[in-house]
Amino acid sequence: MKSFRHINAFSIAEAVTHMEEYADRARIVAGGTDILGILKDQILPVYPEALINIKTIPGLDYIEEDSSGLKIGALVKLDALARSPLVRGKYKMLAEAAQSVATPQIRNMGTIAGNLGQDTRCWYYRYPHAIGGRILCLRKGSGPCLAVNGDNRYHAVFGGRRCLAACPSDIATALLALDAEIVTEGTGGSRIVPVKDFFNPLGNALEKDELIVEIRMPDPPAAAQQHFIKYTLRKPVDFAVVSVAALVVLRDGICTEGHISLGAVAAGPIRAEEAEQYLKGKMPDPAMLQEAAALAVQTAKPLSKNGYKVEIARALIARTLAACVAQPPARTG
Amino acid sequence: MPEVLITLAVNGQKYILKIGAGQGEVDPSHTLAHTLRENLGLTGTKAGCNRGECGACTVLLAGKPVLSCITLAVECDGKDITTIEGLEDPHTGELDPVQQSFLESGAFQCGFCTPGMIMSVKALLRDLPEPTDEQIREALSGHFCRCITHYHVLEAVGRTIGKSR
Amino acid sequence: MQKDFRYIGKETPRKDAASIVRGKAKYIDDLKLPGMLHARVLRSPHAHALIKEIDTSRAAQLDGVKAVLTYKEIPAWRGGLPSHLGVLSQTVRFTGDAVALVAAESEAAAEAALDLIDVQYELLDAVYDAEEAVKPDAPQLYAQFPGNLFPLACPWMGPNSLQQVVMGDVNEGFAQSDIIVEGSCKYDNIPNPLPLEPPGVIVSWEGPDELVVWSSTQAPYFLKMLLYYGMGRINVRSISAHCGGSFGTKAAPWPLVYQAAALAKVTRRPVKLFYSKAEHFAAYTLRLGSTFSGKIGIKRDGRVMAVEGEWLINTGYCSDAAQGMVAVGCGEVQLLIRCANWDIRPKLVCTNRSASKMVRGYGGQELESAFLPVLSMAMEKADLDPFEFFKKNYVKPGDDYYWRDGNLWTCRGTDYAQAMEKGAELFGWKEKWKGWLKPASVNGAKRTGVGVGVHGNADVGEDVSEAYVRLEPNATAVIYSCVSEHGTGQPSNLCKMAAEVLKLPLEAVTLTPPDTLVNPYEFGPVGSRGTYAIGSAVINAAMDARQKLLTRAAAMFQCEPEELDTEDGMIFHKGEKGERIPWKALSVEHTYIGYGRFEPDFSVPNFVMIFVEVEVDIETGKIELKRVVGATDVGQIIDPQGLRNQMHGCLGSAGIDSAIFEESILDKKLGRFLNTNMLDYKWRTFAELPVFDSVILETPIDTHLFKAVGFGEIVTSPAPSAVLMAVSNAVGKRLNEYPLTPDKILKNIR
Repeated sequence: MKSFRHINAFSIAEAVTHMEEYADRARIVAGGTDILGILKDQILPVYPEALINIKTIPGLDYIEEDSSGLKIGALVKLDALARSPLVRGKYKMLAEAAQSVATPQIRNMGTIAGNLGQDTRCWYYRYPHAIGGRILCLRKGSGPCLAVNGDNRYHAVFGGRRCLAACPSDIATALLALDAEIVTEGTGGSRIVPVKDFFNPLGNALEKDELIVEIRMPDPPAAAQQHFIKYTLRKPVDFAVVSVAALVVLRDGICTEGHISLGAVAAGPIRAEEAEQYLKGKMPDPAMLQEAAALAVQTAKPLSKNGYKVEIARALIARTLAACVAQPPARTG
Repeated sequence: MPEVLITLAVNGQKYILKIGAGQGEVDPSHTLAHTLRENLGLTGTKAGCNRGECGACTVLLAGKPVLSCITLAVECDGKDITTIEGLEDPHTGELDPVQQSFLESGAFQCGFCTPGMIMSVKALLRDLPEPTDEQIREALSGHFCRCITHYHVLEAVGRTIGKSR
Repeated sequence: MQKDFRYIGKETPRKDAASIVRGKAKYIDDLKLPGMLHARVLRSPHAHALIKEIDTSRAAQLDGVKAVLTYKEIPAWRGGLPSHLGVLSQTVRFTGDAVALVAAESEAAAEAALDLIDVQYELLDAVYDAEEAVKPDAPQLYAQFPGNLFPLACPWMGPNSLQQVVMGDVNEGFAQSDIIVEGSCKYDNIPNPLPLEPPGVIVSWEGPDELVVWSSTQAPYFLKMLLYYGMGRINVRSISAHCGGSFGTKAAPWPLVYQAAALAKVTRRPVKLFYSKAEHFAAYTLRLGSTFSGKIGIKRDGRVMAVEGEWLINTGYCSDAAQGMVAVGCGEVQLLIRCANWDIRPKLVCTNRSASKMVRGYGGQELESAFLPVLSMAMEKADLDPFEFFKKNYVKPGDDYYWRDGNLWTCRGTDYAQAMEKGAELFGWKEKWKGWLKPASVNGAKRTGVGVGVHGNADVGEDVSEAYVRLEPNATAVIYSCVSEHGTGQPSNLCKMAAEVLKLPLEAVTLTPPDTLVNPYEFGPVGSRGTYAIGSAVINAAMDARQKLLTRAAAMFQCEPEELDTEDGMIFHKGEKGERIPWKALSVEHTYIGYGRFEPDFSVPNFVMIFVEVEVDIETGKIELKRVVGATDVGQIIDPQGLRNQMHGCLGSAGIDSAIFEESILDKKLGRFLNTNMLDYKWRTFAELPVFDSVILETPIDTHLFKAVGFGEIVTSPAPSAVLMAVSNAVGKRLNEYPLTPDKILKNIR
């Protein structure tokens, strides 16, 4: 690939300083599994002058629990997340989501923050420059969105505005169901951005001089049963066509709380709030779960080629909820 | 501009390389796959897609299977790397048990995916000496083979496990 | 099962096995020449355009760039069938078509130069569908091919090469039919055979008319011939590296050779051109697009009375192998069904997308994948079990068919009915077949269904092969056969055959390097001809050499050569227990050269039957491929491991999964492929392998000494239509589209 300056950052402050100095002209590299492909195919209108390596920042690879919940350092690898006994126990859907990503090698390299920050997979956006020139579009700063009237079979079915690409992060789907927050640091200091506010149609909430340093989430509700299902054309390798992360709390057979997060159907993961409301106070029999699933997708606005995603989402939601309900009660504390 | 060197420890041997744009130097944009193949002459690691999507370039970095075509060489400074060339006994040339099993099971056709797969199997059996069938398939799930040698590869893994009992 | 051979039919490690598992086998990108330059190709952003102006001056001035070539500066080499292609053209005909060529000291410099070439295009209208391309007002790709139709003649297959399947009287046939169906099916998802290794070449001019080419061709001599004719009858030395998978697609990479050779000529340096994976996807080789529309008449008992229809073939922007694939496809369809009345008319059409070229399946897969679903409509109407139908109809010894050379051939092969029965038994076909459009089982949202397909190819005996065998005084043998290793194991198998004839240890027999300088004529290991055609030449050469050795020895033994035998390098009298003398005792200054040759024989079609079982989730549209059984009879197994590997190949080279998720997705507004990478182009992983069982019978077949027939090229062909059948049965509705991705399943069963 074309050359660039490679800068090792040895602290968060150093990384932030470099990011501020380079602004648009540099990119962060963590695991490298996304950015290097972007550079090789020269899909960006302007090639970065520098890559700022944050793997050299110590102390960002922890998975810890305290009284307020779970804290995960930005550089925790997906493989470590998937294997962590703590995550597999209490935050089961997150471990399942991490395990579902790509392939073993990618999971050995990719980080949780990188997975959240990865760029869209829209195939117009990703079109390689070498085969007749990159495609410009709204997301790249100029040009129409070609998915609108093009092949949008993998694009969003909810809230497509300006950019119709769906969020490819499986981790995001689980984190939203777990009410997680993203902790960032930039020249302006530290911020906490709830996952539900992190994604937008053209990218995410990070400023040019800001990086993710931690992901945190509260304890799940006591006795919560969790499950994550990812639908792909193939296992594994593929990005999700639809993913669902669900959490159900049952008290004496009645659902007292439910979280339903849908992935790969919008610019970011989305919570099916109406369906969650519907679940409350009800006995989760198959008919009720089907109704919840139908409610979850009723505001979907499919594009010309992706109506099938709505059907898959509906089936998947019912199945994920059923899987939650069928599990023995989760250990608490 | 001070000269910057990196040290790559490949198959137990240390290589000192200069970062730069000249002949034989390592540009910051060079991938580990490129440096192994072009600078160190270790062409056993293959580039099938050069995008981290096929597994052919798999090497062990600090013992873990990674995709060397999306790993920057400069970021491997001081790290231990094992490639396919590092599996056989350096003195006798005796094949590693995994290599020997692949040979006996005819677990290759064109052979292009073979080195990458052997590296993943090597790491798997080191961590899990008796993996389940599902675990084996999972460990190999990032490896593309178009000749369809999968079934013989699974047989080769079974053969290796059987021998080590 | 035949007599007990020493090597034939036994598991023996491949000669290159150690080098492969050690990472020492050398593939094209592993090779370097001193002074070598790196080439890159500037590719068209438009599907159809005229280059109005092109300025390469900025690129040429870039540090490290040694040459930049446009259509104005290239040699007049020609290619294509009929000849219609040059090294570059002023008209670009697909997005990704070559616009300019750059050679530089480094890949990075060559890459950087591309963006410095300024081109102005005049846009032309583009056409992507074959149906549209044949219409009178369609954009025309070539002035010399009006209607975008290529002529169907394939001169190298003979002056009467098959261009259609026409015989008997279809009207009479329909009149005699109990059941007539009419229908149409498209197999135009143009999947990519996608070997793992991208294509590449290295070239070096040794003199003004002496070119050395390194490539990953499986057929170095064939490539040499193509280049000889296309480049003005120059001397070509064609050498092959280990090939990282071909499936036919790397047999003749002449466009890459032309590009590299043009650069090498002006720079006077060797040039390497190695494609990226994106180029491998977007600008190399796809399967033909194929539509069959027609009418089929059958009797209630499954006899086929008439087949009439059009085979519309989309070859992309050019043709260099399509006519051959049409000819063989037309031959192969006659092997499937016994019918006296045919009228199938192929039309070969060009469109503005990248080329369809030679691929395993070779026209037969493309025709059958479109034809068999229509034929199955007739089976369904007559409520015939498709297994029984195929068993009844597949060509048997004594049946006639027109083969690719246009001649009528009589089958003298094997009756494959027993192999079919064994395959059905292993698969459990009789228990699982519940009738047309009926699932084999229902379990909530999951439905299972079964399907079956057949295929065969008489090209196992195609074309000419020559071989020499040289016997050395130290009891070793060298086989001269221009065959490179591309995954089938043929180089090692030829050694096995010679070792068997000469009764030498396998280690004592080696093959020359795949280099046309040192080898005689060899068409190449394509179409599964390695076993019969190349094998025959090698066996004959070994026997000829042996005869020469024993003739010389006979003088010393004072007897007739026929009374002598040799084993493990010792010569002895067969009858008496006498002296055993080593070869070198005859003379250490004498080697023995045997010559062997094979002439084409299209009378022995091979065969495969593929059974598939799928499970469809009718709520999500996901297809799980649960089980595959392949059944064949190969006469005599030469290489058991290699043969099983070939059978498994059904799942590769754009075979079975072209019915499930493989497709090249063309955005027809942009004229660009959208999935030119290995994530968006779908391939089967270890995690989703079907259970795969094989039935491989050995009924000796009258081919050569080992009574074997080739196998491997055919395994992909029956699979796509078998999957369509299985999925249709699972969901209870006839599905006629490729591939059956979830959106299509859900749309059809809503």
